[in-house]
Formats: sequence, structure tokens, C-alpha cells
Amino acid sequence: MANPKALDKRRKSIRNIRKITRTMELIATARFKKAMDRATAATAYTDRVTQLVADLAKTGLEVSHPLLAARPQTDRAILLVLTANRGLCGGYNGNLLRAGLRRWQELTEEVAHCQLEVSGKRGISGFKFRGSEATRTYTHFEDKPAYGEVDEIASRYLDEFLSGGLDRLDVVYTRFDSIARQEVVMETLLPLGSLMPSGKGGTESEVTEEATPEPSPYEFLPSPESILEEVVPTSFKVKLFKCFLDSAVSEQVARMVAMKSATESADDLIKRLSMQYNRARQSRITSELMDLIGGVEALN
Amino acid sequence: MPTAASSDLHVTIVTPEDTVLDTRADFVALPLFDGEMGVAPLHSPLIGRLRSGELRIRQGQQTALYYVEGGFVQVANNEVAVMTGRAQPAASVDPEAARQQLDTSLKSKAAGDEQIAIRSRQIDQARAQLHVARRAEK
Repeated sequence: MANPKALDKRRKSIRNIRKITRTMELIATARFKKAMDRATAATAYTDRVTQLVADLAKTGLEVSHPLLAARPQTDRAILLVLTANRGLCGGYNGNLLRAGLRRWQELTEEVAHCQLEVSGKRGISGFKFRGSEATRTYTHFEDKPAYGEVDEIASRYLDEFLSGGLDRLDVVYTRFDSIARQEVVMETLLPLGSLMPSGKGGTESEVTEEATPEPSPYEFLPSPESILEEVVPTSFKVKLFKCFLDSAVSEQVARMVAMKSATESADDLIKRLSMQYNRARQSRITSELMDLIGGVEALN
Repeated sequence: MPTAASSDLHVTIVTPEDTVLDTRADFVALPLFDGEMGVAPLHSPLIGRLRSGELRIRQGQQTALYYVEGGFVQVANNEVAVMTGRAQPAASVDPEAARQQLDTSLKSKAAGDEQIAIRSRQIDQARAQLHVARRAEK
């Protein structure tokens, strides 16, 4: 027979856990909204820059820049994995680690000199446990990555890439498609490839524009080339910043979902334990009554 | 085509972190790479590079001052879109912090083209901030 007291104790502790998970869910929801706002604000900026590049392309200008050109041989590569600082967010970190590790193994086979950079405590310890020590680690990116901080890292990559110390930069992060859909993706940020976002057919429209050159209505100050020179690094920085923002948003979504299901399971558990507890209590009362009745009958 | 009747400017200032400003104005003065440029309604289309400096927006009798840090501007169809790394109202520029940055960067020694470029950029930014802060006090 189950001990009602022990059952009650378990029920109490689960109630406490439920309180915690519920609070964490609420916190994650609030943080998600904030992170989402920031991501939308960044989209406004990227849209503008994309439009500017499209207008630049209309001038028939040869869009060439050292950052855009693919290197004939890749000798030095950096893999940047963006994970979370905290756990309790379901499969978020696990998925990133798995994808990051797979990519890391591929990269070490392909490229002679590889460096691993990891952001987030979970990823750092995860990679360490699996025997891959990260060369550089970042733990200061929380749910509100600041552009200034990302800019610092991005500038370092740019300098290394331009001076030949880096041929390729891959980023593994969680892309935020919608609140119901986030996926772990690997993107090559350096060399940048095309400045046009894929899917919009940027390169195709470029070709048609060049085929029928239309005089651009814009006056360029100082010149299209100079503006392109400045736009390309900016667009790389913004892309990297977007990776960090997407990661932050996805982390909060993952935590929200994980905590929601944890709260629900706690509810189920409390219900089941309550039932067991009530049954145990009832059967104990019944058996005590039976004892009493039996005693009375024996006396008579 | 924009007509004279719709002759006011739509000004937006966006940074990667935030949309700092989205408003209508009669006149905008931009800190272009080689000097200040004024944009009034019906300005011809233009894409230009900005430097760190003061951006003025006049609406009626009121003039708003902003500090912007480099970036680009795109002017077309009475729309002025400013893309910059950082932007803030002039009143919130901290002259103390700017002076400190200026002092430290003036004292720091830079070797190599890269560091020299960074140093001069920091000096420019600090000077521009100081200038904007002074203008805001007036």
C-alpha cells in the first residue's frame, strides 16, 4: 500500500517545479517578444541595404569586391557555432551541437587549417566533451546581442579575410522562419557570394538589367564603386548580426515551448499523484474503519 | 511623379538595431562624406556616403538634431532613407564620454595602416559627437 504522506510530499515538490517552469515560460515569452522586435528592426535595415544594392546593380556596375569572390583554394577556415548560454530549452543546443560537430568533421577533412569558434556556454562545454576544443569562445551574447559587439567580431573576420589569413567562414546557427518553425542551418558568410538574397532571383534580374542598360536615375556621391566598397562589408556585418539575432529569438522560442510542455507534464503528474494519494488515503481510512468494526464486534 | 502638392519629405533613419526615426519633414541636412548637403522636397534621386556628424531635420518651425555615424543615404521620390551604424538624438549624446574617447584615441599610438585608420575614425567620431552635443546645448 502506497504511503499517502510520501505521495503528498512528491506532489508538493512537483507543484514547486511546476511553479518554476511556468515562470520560466512567462519569462521566455516576454524575452521572445523583445528579441522578435529587435529582429524585425534589423530586417528594416537589411531591406534598405538590399534595395540600395539592387539600385547599384542597375547602373550596370560590375559587382566585384574581394569579399564576394570565391577563393581558388581554401586553406584556412573558421567555423562559428552559435549556441545558448543556458539550458532548459529542449533540443535547441543538442541540435546545434550535432549539426556543428558534423560540419566540423567535414571541414577538418577538407581544409588544412581550421579554427572552431563557439558562442554560448552550452556549446563550449558540449564541444569540449566531444574532444574538440574551441579556439575562441564567446559567452557575452545573451538574448539581446548588441550590434557593437557583433561588429567587433565581424571586423576581425573581415580583416583576417582581406589579409589572407582566412579563406572561408561558416556559421552554424538556428534560423528563425516563424514561431512554429526554426531550423539549424549552416551558412557560408565569407566569401559572401551574391549580395542579393537568394529566392528573389537577384542575379537573374541583374543579368536582364545589364542586357538592356537603363540609365540609373540616381546620382552617386562620390561614385558607385566607392559606395559598393562600403556596402559590401556593411552587408556582411549585418548578415552576421542577423545570425545572432535569429539565434536569440529561436532560443527563446525553444525555451518557451520546452517550458510549456514541462508545465503541462507537471500538471498531468500532479493529477495522477492526487488520484493515487486520494485512493491511498481512502483505503487507509477504510482499513481503519474495518479494524474498529472488527474490534467492536469482538467485544460484543 | 511627385507633385508640388505632396512636397514634403518622408525621412527614415534605420540602424541594424532599431528604426530610430520615421517622420515627415520639410527639409533635411545630411552629413555627406565631403560636407553637408541639404535635401528639400523634389530633390533628384541620389545615393551617397555619409560620415559621422550632425543630421538636421526641419519640420515647420522646429528643427531636430541627430547624431549619425557613417553609413549611406538614399533619396528618391521625396523619401530620404538613412542607413547608419548608430544614430541618436543630439540631446542624448554624452559629451563627457565623447571627450574621453577623443583623449584616449589622441594619446594612443597606432602602427600600421589598419590601426591608423581605426584611430582616425575614432577621433572623427568623437569630434563629431562633441560638435553635435555642443550644438544641442545652444
